[in-house]
Amino acid sequence: MEDIKTQINDGIKLHTIRTSKFKTNLISMFFTTELNKENVTKNALISLLLRRGTKNIPSQDELSKKLENMYGAFFDCGLDKIGNNQVFKFYIETINDEYIPQSNEEMWKEAVNLLLEIALNPYTEQECFKEEYFEQEKKTLTQIIEGRKDNKAQYALNRCIEEMYKDEPFGLYKFGNIEDIEKIDNKQLYEYYKNLIKNCKIDIFVSGNIPDSKEIENLIKSNENACKLEGRQAKYNPVKIENRNRKDNQEKIVEESLEVTQGKLVLGLDINIEKEDEKYIAVVYNSILGGSANSKMFQNVREKAHLAYVASSSYLRHKNTIFINSGIEIANYEKALKIIKEQIKDMENGNFSDNDLKEAKKVITEGIKTVYDEQDSQITYCFGQEMNENEDVSLEQYMEKIEAVTKEDVIEIAKVIEVDTIYFLRD
Amino acid sequence: MQVIENLKVKEKVYIEKLENGLTIMIIPKKDIQKKYIIWGTKYGSNESTFVVPGETDPIEVPKGVAHFLEHKMFEQENGTNSLDVLTSLGVNANAYTTNDHTAYLFEGIDNFYEALDELMDYVQHPYFTDENVEKEKGIIGQEIMMYDDYPEWKVYLNALEAMYHEHPVKLDITGTIETISHIDKDVLYKCYNTFYNPSNMVMVACGDFLPEDLLEEIKKRLEKKEANGEIKRIYPEEPENIVKEKVEQKMQVSIPLYTIGIKVPPLEETQKVKTHLGVEILLDLIFGKSSELYKRLYNEGVIYGAPGCDFEFANGYAHILLTGQANDPEKVYEEFKKKVIEYKEKGINKEDFERIKRSIYGSFVKEYDDVADIARMFISDTFKGINSFDYLEEIDAINVEYVEQLLKNLFKEEKMVISIVKN
Repeated sequence: MEDIKTQINDGIKLHTIRTSKFKTNLISMFFTTELNKENVTKNALISLLLRRGTKNIPSQDELSKKLENMYGAFFDCGLDKIGNNQVFKFYIETINDEYIPQSNEEMWKEAVNLLLEIALNPYTEQECFKEEYFEQEKKTLTQIIEGRKDNKAQYALNRCIEEMYKDEPFGLYKFGNIEDIEKIDNKQLYEYYKNLIKNCKIDIFVSGNIPDSKEIENLIKSNENACKLEGRQAKYNPVKIENRNRKDNQEKIVEESLEVTQGKLVLGLDINIEKEDEKYIAVVYNSILGGSANSKMFQNVREKAHLAYVASSSYLRHKNTIFINSGIEIANYEKALKIIKEQIKDMENGNFSDNDLKEAKKVITEGIKTVYDEQDSQITYCFGQEMNENEDVSLEQYMEKIEAVTKEDVIEIAKVIEVDTIYFLRD
Repeated sequence: MQVIENLKVKEKVYIEKLENGLTIMIIPKKDIQKKYIIWGTKYGSNESTFVVPGETDPIEVPKGVAHFLEHKMFEQENGTNSLDVLTSLGVNANAYTTNDHTAYLFEGIDNFYEALDELMDYVQHPYFTDENVEKEKGIIGQEIMMYDDYPEWKVYLNALEAMYHEHPVKLDITGTIETISHIDKDVLYKCYNTFYNPSNMVMVACGDFLPEDLLEEIKKRLEKKEANGEIKRIYPEEPENIVKEKVEQKMQVSIPLYTIGIKVPPLEETQKVKTHLGVEILLDLIFGKSSELYKRLYNEGVIYGAPGCDFEFANGYAHILLTGQANDPEKVYEEFKKKVIEYKEKGINKEDFERIKRSIYGSFVKEYDDVADIARMFISDTFKGINSFDYLEEIDAINVEYVEQLLKNLFKEEKMVISIVKN
């Protein structure tokens, strides 16, 4: 897997990943911008408005018809939080020309042009988004934010993040908040959008059975929407280790009540490290703690104590944080929390075997190797590297770094890991 | 081995039926590192009454046994748990139970044959004790409670309950805390010995394999077991009509969820693929993202997205489902019914039809990238008596007249139900 990078202009990069492994071509474009309270809701609304139509394809049903005609091309525009950034993610997936019956169309070109049209040339009237769309999408956004409580497990995790990063950008919900929706003015929003595409970091990924990067570069440079984009000093926050410097070392305990049958217990852990390379140790630590069926969480909370069906942990690389998740009977809260804390303590005391370490590494490297086989994972991985200021680590190097982690490394890191927030969702 | 090639997606499937009745299917994928293997038995939550081969009287077992059995298969007599062993080998192992089958699988890159040892060992060697059966009731109890908090699951199950009087498809795959309390090791052994016989099982592998070599490796690991003859499965008589048209449940949700169900007669053996394709085309035409109905309801603020559409069928049942969220689900239901009538009267526009057909063709091609998607598609289709490649071939033959006829035959107003979950 090779990501060939071409600078289209300052702050605008084309990534070409040529592969004949897949039956699809995947084109994506990412706009990366600073995450902050002021703009988070505006960005969310824009991501919804851009789906509604473009100058040349003014409505959603026409856009849908176009995609259906492209043999069911899949389009989506989503939002993500990466470190202290909000990222717009536009995707189009089409089938390769090779699998199109009697065709001489070059579908990848059509897909690239369509994606640029959707992201850069929205349907507007008098320097505003179409009023009808604007009003409807405000309602849709309200619904998305209110709908956050519907998936209780996801909600509990999001709430734990919110509490843990209360006064930091990362604590913001990626779709913003309801109070700010009504304050948004259509004309100002369109102005804001024009500024956004002038200043954000832009990455375009083209992956699949496609020509070389030169031809794609030429296509993009001659595209009427893309050629208007000027070079920029992109305004975003490269991902790097940050020391949160929490003054009080008190655990924050938050309980919230909703109608649930099962309690959802989430713990947010701080990892107080300073070097980039220590992240690989954190990955291994997490894998032993709760990353697989052999992990301490799964074995002790689920298999031995029978307290949960879900009992795991995950490492959020770009924030250098671990979240522990479990769904438990509400009455078992104290019991479950005690066992979970014992696991964390065990890690610090080195109560895990060399074999646990070996297996944890195997789980990680197997996971890494699957990136080669998945088109979207390839792009996600390459973009992750792109966002990381100080490194560009290949998959092979990544695996070597994991292999190099020792038991002592893990114990050392366990000593600087502490519980920041305990969040419990109950009835 | 028998080889079937599909020129549209340029893939081949190698099929072998062994003497003991086991069917093995291998789909080679060059240059892909990941290997996926799945071993399933045609035994799901629907099979609760059956005649053990060699016996005469039917027996009835508690609801949820198939799923319980799936959980318990991992435990080994020597005290190890096969899920742990597989995880130690660095592969990703799992198992699942559906209405019509149960399957055990793993995917991974290295240690494939070591993992195959373990998979084939544990599926062929059950070990149930009073103690380990009791312990599992706690874990499954938590799984059942987890589903209780999913409004999507409730709205779906309620729709099935509104459609079916007797058929067990309407019941939760896991059973309930009450039904699983009656499960003991004897019941588990009885079901295992009946359904986990090679003649009732299918194995599918997908990845960079030489089919003949893999076949030999599988044969080496098979215990000697004779085919045990036909298992008579008994399903209760299911009336054609629905139970009730509307069902509502209160749950804390931000916006109501709905499932519209249409009960249709069980499919004829030769018509399954064609009917499935026809129904998909119709649902896209009526309520897909390019439809007039979707556009209007979205613009009116009734819905925020297109419904997810499904056509589910197996032994003795078939139904169409549309699931989504709406401020006013009753309105969605009424408008959907009106649209169905309108299409029946006015017919289907040829251009729309061709466009949707193209789109569905593309979505089938996309299924052939991921080894897991491919293997799971083949195994579940095989248990339904379908060769997955047929979808790519039969779609060519579908024309407007056929789907218009299908619309008249299947989308009957008196067979429609709506299930709603709201505050």
